[in-house]
Amino acid sequence: MNFLIPLIPALPLAGFVITGLLGRSMGRDSHRLAVWAVVASWVVAMVVVAGALTHNLGFGEGGFGVTLWNWIPATGFQADMGFYVDTLTACLLIVVTTIGMLVHVYSIGYMAHDDGKWRFFSYLNLFMFSMLILVLADNLLLVFAGWELVGLSSYLLIGFWYPRRSAAEAAKKAFLVNRVGDMGFALGIMAIWTQLGTLNLQKVFAAFAGVPHEWQIAIALLIFCGAVGKSAQFPLHVWLPDAMEGPTPVSALIHAATMVNAGVYLVARCNPIFGAAPEVMTVVAAIGIFTAILAASIAFTQTDIKRVLAYSTLSQLGYMFASLGVGAWTAAIFHLMSHGFFKGLLFLGSGSVIHAVDGEQDMRKMGGLAKKIPTTYVTMLIGSVAIAGVPPLAGFFSKDEILGGAFKNGFLWVWAIGFAVAGMTAFYMFRLMGMTFWGESRVDPETEHHIHESPPSMTRPLILLAIPAVFLGMLIGLPPESGLLHQWLAPIFEHTIAASGRTEAAYTFFGIDGALAIVTTGLVAAAIVLAWRLFGVNMPALGLRAEPRPDRVRELSAQPAMAALYRGSSNKWWFDDLNNLLFVVWGGRLAAAAFWFDRTVIDGTVNGIGVVTTGAGTALRRVQTGRVQNYALGIALGLIAMAIGYILIAVR
Amino acid sequence: MPIGDSIPLVGIRWDDVLFVVLAGTLLVSALLVVTMRDIIRCGLSLTVSFASLAGIYALLGNPLIAATQVLVYIGAISVLILFAIMLTQTKNAPARLVFQTQAWFAAAAAMVIGNVIAVTALTSTWPNLGDRVATGTADVAHLLFHDYVLPFEIVSVLLTAAVVGAVYLARRDSGRREEDRS
Amino acid sequence: MSNSLDSYLVLSGLLFAIGTFGFLARRNAISMLMSIELMINAVNLTILAFGAFITPLRTHAAVIALIVIAVAAAEATVGLAIIIAIYRNKKTPLVDEYDAMKD
Repeated sequence: MNFLIPLIPALPLAGFVITGLLGRSMGRDSHRLAVWAVVASWVVAMVVVAGALTHNLGFGEGGFGVTLWNWIPATGFQADMGFYVDTLTACLLIVVTTIGMLVHVYSIGYMAHDDGKWRFFSYLNLFMFSMLILVLADNLLLVFAGWELVGLSSYLLIGFWYPRRSAAEAAKKAFLVNRVGDMGFALGIMAIWTQLGTLNLQKVFAAFAGVPHEWQIAIALLIFCGAVGKSAQFPLHVWLPDAMEGPTPVSALIHAATMVNAGVYLVARCNPIFGAAPEVMTVVAAIGIFTAILAASIAFTQTDIKRVLAYSTLSQLGYMFASLGVGAWTAAIFHLMSHGFFKGLLFLGSGSVIHAVDGEQDMRKMGGLAKKIPTTYVTMLIGSVAIAGVPPLAGFFSKDEILGGAFKNGFLWVWAIGFAVAGMTAFYMFRLMGMTFWGESRVDPETEHHIHESPPSMTRPLILLAIPAVFLGMLIGLPPESGLLHQWLAPIFEHTIAASGRTEAAYTFFGIDGALAIVTTGLVAAAIVLAWRLFGVNMPALGLRAEPRPDRVRELSAQPAMAALYRGSSNKWWFDDLNNLLFVVWGGRLAAAAFWFDRTVIDGTVNGIGVVTTGAGTALRRVQTGRVQNYALGIALGLIAMAIGYILIAVR
Repeated sequence: MPIGDSIPLVGIRWDDVLFVVLAGTLLVSALLVVTMRDIIRCGLSLTVSFASLAGIYALLGNPLIAATQVLVYIGAISVLILFAIMLTQTKNAPARLVFQTQAWFAAAAAMVIGNVIAVTALTSTWPNLGDRVATGTADVAHLLFHDYVLPFEIVSVLLTAAVVGAVYLARRDSGRREEDRS
Repeated sequence: MSNSLDSYLVLSGLLFAIGTFGFLARRNAISMLMSIELMINAVNLTILAFGAFITPLRTHAAVIALIVIAVAAAEATVGLAIIIAIYRNKKTPLVDEYDAMKD
């Protein structure tokens, strides 16, 4: 195990280096090495995960730590290059490596005709390496290193088609907004260091209770700040929708499976820190659930298929943070895993749709694609049902655990908003399905002839992802709150849960839990039916058919209250404009003022010193007349002054 | 027939009268030297002031120095100055300004200097102050050739050097005029 | 009056002041030199006055005065030679034209 664990990130690193250096000369085969590296990494990761979850292969009851070398041996500051694997790490490893591998395979087909394919695969490998470092690290400095590397990789990947201006700007936006969060995270790390003198995670958790309470709150807030940036919570959510400029596999990898989960992982990993500061947990829950409803409301009116999925990701991430905030830790990780699978499935499926209609991403120009691209259609339908939370698919179990946890831990407002968001999620997902796959075809006539199913390298990952989307919930989530996942993760969270004074009550199907589940499912069903009635449905197998009614949609959205909401929603609630105003316009003015100040006052002062000196010199030049008599007068006057001085002194 | 110490009827001492006359001549001629427009007249006025100085030296009981003053200053230096004036005459010299622009400052500075010296002189007490006593030439000679013989020799070397230098500097050599104007 | 040291000292002070004025104010170079001679003579007068009134200094003052006269003669000689040389170059005896060292 000492050898296997470092091998997991080492393989993608080697893939990145070799593909980056030699990729251009590899031509059409430039993807092979990268894909094989990630597949090999997945195999090793599965071995490690198996060991970790079943406590075999060298894993004891706790985690397994591997220290490679002493990275920073300064006196007073030590940091190791070390990895730590326990059950939480194992859960993340499952998500990261599996979806990463499937995205790599998918990209073989998706990027087959792109000249920069070698760059793409080397960046993908770099991304895998960074994310694995982040997940496996055993000290905060290494986590931060992985954190920043992930940000860099996402910049490279989002801006992959850099000649396109919007892509380059989106990459910059992602990086800069992330940076804001990273600054908070760095300050948190520094605070931990000043208070505890160590950055090793396990040591920090053991000693955290001894930190003064104000510092505990500060540290927790700062670490949450980093998570807000990386996982695109309000107010740092603005980068995620624009990041859709990257190729679809990138969106799947970054926004479904890995990078945005880094924030959730960080908070979950640091649960002792957050458990010690209940005020911060309330903040986490508030921001999370607010992001959820904000994003869901924007998804109602988006017309780009990838944007809908991006806002949906934001919304689900909000769910996860709300779950962390109310103290339902395991539910958050459960939702993280199931969301990774079905969101990855949805993104890759949308990539397949876009591939089929020759690059068109606007849903208003799609429609009636169900019969033409059947595999994609079926898998996307499965993904939509999963995300809507229809039992017995994965989404139902995880979402219900979150809502149940919120209700039982006393956060009724979180429950209420989450309940509404569940309905909204179902509605906009089936709006997406309706506009894309059902109804009449609004596709451009010339591309309509070319609509074809994607190659197997793209459809096989879809099918492979659909399987966990259906079965994962039942596998690890049943029975609720005492299933496999809870058994795995209990040792990690039990101290925090015990310290918060709450006990995870047993699940009572005929009590409150069952009631909540039934009510939520009812709302979801109602939302789906409403979506069918407005946007159409056509599932002959289930005997469901309805025509889309665009005029009814228009009529509804024209009513005054709805019209205002519609406008706000389609403008993303003007957050981008607010940021633009604050930072670009006012910031630009401030910068212009500073520039003016620098140029006029400071440079003026410096130049003025020069001018004054030159002027003084020119003026004083006139003393040098070159005539002896003038100099002699000077001598005489000096002599007089000295004589008078002497006389005065003598008189005194 | 001895004259006596003071003027018979008025009672003013001859020494004082002599002093006042000589001092007045000296100051007036000195003022004329520095203020007259025609420079040759300045030179002549300088000669007059040298002469009155010689008289004052004699009054101070130093006939040797008085004689030297007449010989060197009036006999040599004044002649030299007059020669130089004549060599550097320009036709339009009298028509232009006599004084510089800084003449006012110069006057102020001169007055202050004069005041300072006068005040210092009048308010100081000198040690060993006695009455005016004449100096014997034999004593001067003795001192000059015993204790001050080295300065004496050096002064003679200095005079030789001065003469050689003056001859060289003022030499007008037709073949060298281009180089002199470098 | 002629018996007091103060009057001789004041006289020489006045002569020195006049010489200073002439040196600083006249335009002709030879006038400057004449003023210098006046100043030197004022100093000479001072030395001899002290010698006459302070007995230990009597003979020393005379010797010093002699040497001063000799040095003044040498200086006048060389100074006038220089002025003549400059006059040959600049064609003018006026010192405010001698400003080749002007900045």
